[in-house]
Amino acid sequence: MNETTEPPAVKLTGLTKSFGANRVVQPLDLEIRQGEFFSILGPSGCGKTTLMRMITGFETPTGGSVELDGKNVDAVSTKSRDLNMLFQSYALFPHLSVYENVAFELRVRRTAKREIDTRVREALELVRLGAFAERKPAELSGGQRQRVALARAVVGRPAVVLLDEPLGALDQKLRKEMQFELKRMQREVGITFIYVTHDQEEALTMSDRIAVMSEGRVLQVASPTEIYDEPASRFVATFIGSCNILDGVVDAQGTGVVVPGVGAVPALVPAGAVPGSGVALAIRPERMSMRAVGASATVDGVRATLVERAFLGDEWTFHVRLETGAVMTVSVPSGETAAELGSIADGAAVVLSWSAAAARVLPAEASATAPASAPATSALKGAAA
Amino acid sequence: MERLNSWIARLVFVFLYLPIAALIVYSFNSSEVSYRFDGFTFRWYAELFRDQMLLESLRTSALVGVIAAVLATVIGFLSAFALVRFRVKGRAFFVGAILIPLIVPEIVLGVSLLTVFSSAGLPTGIVTLVLGHVVITLPLATLVLMGAMSSLDPSLSEAATDLGASPWVTFRRVLFPLLRPSILAAFLLSFTTSFSNIVISTFTAGVGTTTLPLRIYSTLRTGLTPELNALGTLLVVATLGVILLVGVAQMRRILAGPRP
Repeated sequence: MNETTEPPAVKLTGLTKSFGANRVVQPLDLEIRQGEFFSILGPSGCGKTTLMRMITGFETPTGGSVELDGKNVDAVSTKSRDLNMLFQSYALFPHLSVYENVAFELRVRRTAKREIDTRVREALELVRLGAFAERKPAELSGGQRQRVALARAVVGRPAVVLLDEPLGALDQKLRKEMQFELKRMQREVGITFIYVTHDQEEALTMSDRIAVMSEGRVLQVASPTEIYDEPASRFVATFIGSCNILDGVVDAQGTGVVVPGVGAVPALVPAGAVPGSGVALAIRPERMSMRAVGASATVDGVRATLVERAFLGDEWTFHVRLETGAVMTVSVPSGETAAELGSIADGAAVVLSWSAAAARVLPAEASATAPASAPATSALKGAAA
Repeated sequence: MERLNSWIARLVFVFLYLPIAALIVYSFNSSEVSYRFDGFTFRWYAELFRDQMLLESLRTSALVGVIAAVLATVIGFLSAFALVRFRVKGRAFFVGAILIPLIVPEIVLGVSLLTVFSSAGLPTGIVTLVLGHVVITLPLATLVLMGAMSSLDPSLSEAATDLGASPWVTFRRVLFPLLRPSILAAFLLSFTTSFSNIVISTFTAGVGTTTLPLRIYSTLRTGLTPELNALGTLLVVATLGVILLVGVAQMRRILAGPRP
């Protein structure tokens, strides 16, 4: 893939949408590369579906423009845009067989009969439903219907396929299988996929890049590992995976962070940080370590009290309370260490430690933007106030 | 208690079907007076087909019924589509406005229709009959089609558009096949409503365009003839035929697409 000469598959410039006085998509710029598996991830109501419907042309933007493959398509209707959509409800035509559903686009576009047959068979082979061509959608399982919808979306070889939470209706096990299947199929057909979801695990598993959205804004666009390890904001840190947030202040030298009530804690402060400015430290639960300690011993680390524990099979999760009252989560993969830690009694004194690299320094934000979903975060908000 | 219930159920059925049974039996009655059964005959059927006035009114009713039902179904489809699919301003007002003829007494509608037609200089005849009947059948057709359309997944037509279909192709390949049973139901309901209407027809029929119900009603003055029994029997048979055809088609559809 040569990114310097190829125009982006999708380019959005200042795209915005309001319904009446309610602006659901703030003006945003976004570039999606050719052949990329790109996810738009955000909680429900963040504007991701509206954004997608503006790319397809179902919604007319209030402002800004959409380019597909380097060409402006603002004046091009949905039916002439070189993209297809996979609907959340699949939207299979119930009166048509699987074969005819997949053939629909080719028939509408008056493709030669013989070519229709070849391409429909190919598409059905891709989704491994060759034997189901004559069935009606009502005679298929949820997973099979989803595959038919995918075959129908790719059969016309569009430049882009948009997927609107396609796995939402499937059960947990099937969903995991389909994540890998979708990724395989996308690689096989080489079509740009834009995948809209509120499920961070789906986005992390499949995507080449992820755009995290909240309240109509794109907060960060990056690869899954970057999004996870180097979140750009408090929202991204807590929305993707679970994350402990500590509110602190850059110290006088501008090289460390002091958390009120805890003291200096390890953190890699970016160069140019203003001494005395407020920051938020984001630390992943699995990058913290914990050990039992006598109440009087002097230790290097942050003192806390073990509140409760949960065994999740592949890992142990511990909730600990800092002296400030903030509750943090520590997770340890199952194994000898975890087994030892599991024997610590509730209420015992522990010490938390982490490497400076594990604590990401984020700009402090109004805590209203942080979701209240993670218990650690909500408890911290109270402590920080 | 259960025995009583089952007897009541039987009585209700007898009550419902006795008139129809009597109609059929007396249509083969050779006696001139309808309350005595003398013997079996086809005479009334023969007379029916010789009664030009009656046949003429049957033709008028059928013609008006078909045209009014087609108009009501087409207009009803379009209004239902607009009201269900688009965020029309004043949607509730339009729905109410379309349904009002169902509530207004027909006699009032009849009088006002006649007033309008005569002040517009429109002579009463097939045209006024059709217009009058559209007024009362349109709400029915619209209601039936609105119900059917709102139960249809809106992403189906979006999917068709997304796959390159124009609005017409979307209608022909997706909406029409899926709504066909309801369109047929709207048409049949409109047709029978028009076909059996008396009140509106009284005001809107002209000389030479007497509808069948009007003709039958006027013969009351001279007394019912057994010929009318024959006509009634034929209509019942025709109705059953249509119901059977539609029913069989529906059953096929239901059997062809079993739910998993």
